[in-house]
Amino acid sequence: MMRWSFRRPGFWQLVFALILGVGLYSTVVRFTGGLGASTALSDAFPWGLWIGFDVLCGVALAAGGFTLSAVVYIFNVERFRPIIRPTILTAFLGYALVIVALLFDLGRPYRIWHPLVMWNPHSVMFEVAWCVMLYTTVLALEFSPMVFERLRLERPLRILHALTVPLVILGVILSTLHQSSLGSLYLIVPEKLHPLWYSPLLPIFFFISAIALGCAMPIFESFLSYRAFRKRLEIELLADLGKVIVVTLAVYLVLKIQDLAGRGVLSRIVEPTYEGRMFLAEMLLGVIGPILLLSLRRIRTDHFGLFVSAVLVVLGFIMNRLNVSITGMEASSGVSYFPSWTELSVTLMIVALGFALFGAAAKYLPVFPEKERLPAPTLVEPPAVAVLRRPWIGTTPLVLILGGLFFIGAMGSAYSGLQHRERALATAPASEESEPEIADGLERFEVPPDVTFPQGEASPGPVTFRHASHLNWERPNCTICHHEPFRMLKAFGSVTASPARDLHDERHCGRCHDGRTSFSVKEECTACHRP
Amino acid sequence: MGDKRGLLFDATLCIGCGACYEACKERNQLPRTAAHFLDDRLSDQTYTVVKRRGGRFVRQLCMHCEVPTCVSVCPVGALEKTATGPVIYHEARCIGCRYCMLACPFGIPKYEWRKILPRVRKCDLCADRLAAGRPPACAEVCPTGATRFGDRQALIEEARARIRTHPQKYVPRIYGLEEVGGTSVLLLSDIPFERLGYRTDLLSEPLPLLTWQVLQKIPNFVAVGSVLLGGIWWITNRRREVQLRERQQREVREPSAPESADPSHEEP
Repeated sequence: MMRWSFRRPGFWQLVFALILGVGLYSTVVRFTGGLGASTALSDAFPWGLWIGFDVLCGVALAAGGFTLSAVVYIFNVERFRPIIRPTILTAFLGYALVIVALLFDLGRPYRIWHPLVMWNPHSVMFEVAWCVMLYTTVLALEFSPMVFERLRLERPLRILHALTVPLVILGVILSTLHQSSLGSLYLIVPEKLHPLWYSPLLPIFFFISAIALGCAMPIFESFLSYRAFRKRLEIELLADLGKVIVVTLAVYLVLKIQDLAGRGVLSRIVEPTYEGRMFLAEMLLGVIGPILLLSLRRIRTDHFGLFVSAVLVVLGFIMNRLNVSITGMEASSGVSYFPSWTELSVTLMIVALGFALFGAAAKYLPVFPEKERLPAPTLVEPPAVAVLRRPWIGTTPLVLILGGLFFIGAMGSAYSGLQHRERALATAPASEESEPEIADGLERFEVPPDVTFPQGEASPGPVTFRHASHLNWERPNCTICHHEPFRMLKAFGSVTASPARDLHDERHCGRCHDGRTSFSVKEECTACHRP
Repeated sequence: MGDKRGLLFDATLCIGCGACYEACKERNQLPRTAAHFLDDRLSDQTYTVVKRRGGRFVRQLCMHCEVPTCVSVCPVGALEKTATGPVIYHEARCIGCRYCMLACPFGIPKYEWRKILPRVRKCDLCADRLAAGRPPACAEVCPTGATRFGDRQALIEEARARIRTHPQKYVPRIYGLEEVGGTSVLLLSDIPFERLGYRTDLLSEPLPLLTWQVLQKIPNFVAVGSVLLGGIWWITNRRREVQLRERQQREVREPSAPESADPSHEEP
């Protein structure tokens, strides 16, 4: 899809330019109008799409990088080496784009460095900040050989080569911490996040699902790079990744069921509620569907089958993160959140930038070994593993039917969930609005003391202000007079008549003593001025 | 008696006069935000409100938790629990991540969404007035004693005494004594607290414990993890080296063997 040609802009270039244009416009809106003008966020819903998708999903893009580099460099499983570089590139881009997204989302983006010097080790966000900074550095170092190789710089290459294993170990540790800590972020909202997602195991669920995504992304990317750059698909390798996905997701599924059952909320999966249906959709799309598809050898060893399964994993993963950050938080917030077009277009721009940068890197840097390029691409390749007997149904139709079934099932479930959304948001307790009984309090109502104003020149007599006679005893409301200029916290005596301040004017006594609300200051002088 | 201060709000005494609301606006120099104060809600320009709930008047304001969730979640320490009770905000540190808003179990911190350089806004229990030995503005102006300021322990005794003296009137519970580990703001009521709009399903231990249980394991995880991974690498690498050497020796003995390209010689 990234077939760059500078002579004539193709379809994808035009789409990219359009996304970039709208995104840049939204960027201007964001940084000139503030978060209020550019997002659908509110006090009740402070985290939206930029955190739920850009950050939570962007970080998980790096999971492939750390999983595979651990497998290759630590466990010395050499077979996976050919797909190491694309995953490192993906991870690096993922983190770089997370930082871009954070610059949009933070209220004060120019202070993004503050966690470096202002520490709070009790904060998960502090851990997240440090993981982002350190792991971006590690990924930059892991990525840099591709640049140095291209520039033929031997010395830095040798230094980096010597550093490989410590870097990989550091990367695996940081990444494990980071993937799980994104789940830990939500550990502190047990009363806000819906019980289908809130769990003490959140960090573990985030970590495991990130590994599944980390294995699905290379499959997804290999397919796209194959279409774009005619890069040969490492089908046996990718099929093995498919197996890893099945195992990872199966562990995830078992843990999830145990966790839900242990907390006594298993039955809420099938309840026809907003959250129940969205949860079901997420599980069908990202867990059960891929497990089933990838368990079938025919599908696992088929390019198209692998690709469809990987897409399901990716979509299910995104849905999970959005469910945790948005769906599961809506009911307790009492408001419904849907991202504004500005949020959507910025996110789209960041995703498009990711694709473009990946494409550019794949074109200009030694991401894929040169020898793997094949001359002629065909759209659908025959299965790499020879099929001994003719199956009753072709692999592609089978993939389409099964994949489509899970996709449609999930979408149907999500649609049905959205039908219940209104009800989920209306669960705020409707308090009966009976008339307040204020008799109890009135017994102890201490009316502030009377204030006598000194008699001015030409005044018929001193004025004594009595709170008691200025009160509506049925419905006392201090804010009527006390907003301006009769402030409460100053000594009341400071409000005195002077040539500059006539208390008769419409900002003082005259405000209500105007002949309509009460008798006018222009008549009945002795009503107030009592000699 | 400690040096911890607090507020005791008694819903049975509140007459909904709005004095606390107005005094708060005045002390914090906030603009008018609603035609009638009872219709207002907490925002970046309103740090306390009086609501009509269940036939009573009830205040909403920062509870100034004993172990505040907002303080624990802030990555840069922009929120601080002071020794005397107030939870205060250090504007110059805040990066605007809004985790405090997400995490607060009472939904108190509000954001200046309309500003280019926004701040988190909330009640600070008039920390400057407290330091000068004066009560918070809201407590100073309350005409009925519905909002009382004092030593937190003394207020708890006072609340217990009120419940003891009027057992048929009060709900036998002081809200804020145990909720999320206790709060500096305490509530009394004659109707169930959930009818006043206060959550009664909150945990009784501080919420920061939930994340701290995980965070405190990090140093161990890093140490054990690094050693473990390093060890695995050492073993698997050694095995690979041995295999390589054996293969080379075989090739020396049988020169006709096909040359096997080992990809492990490539750089990362």
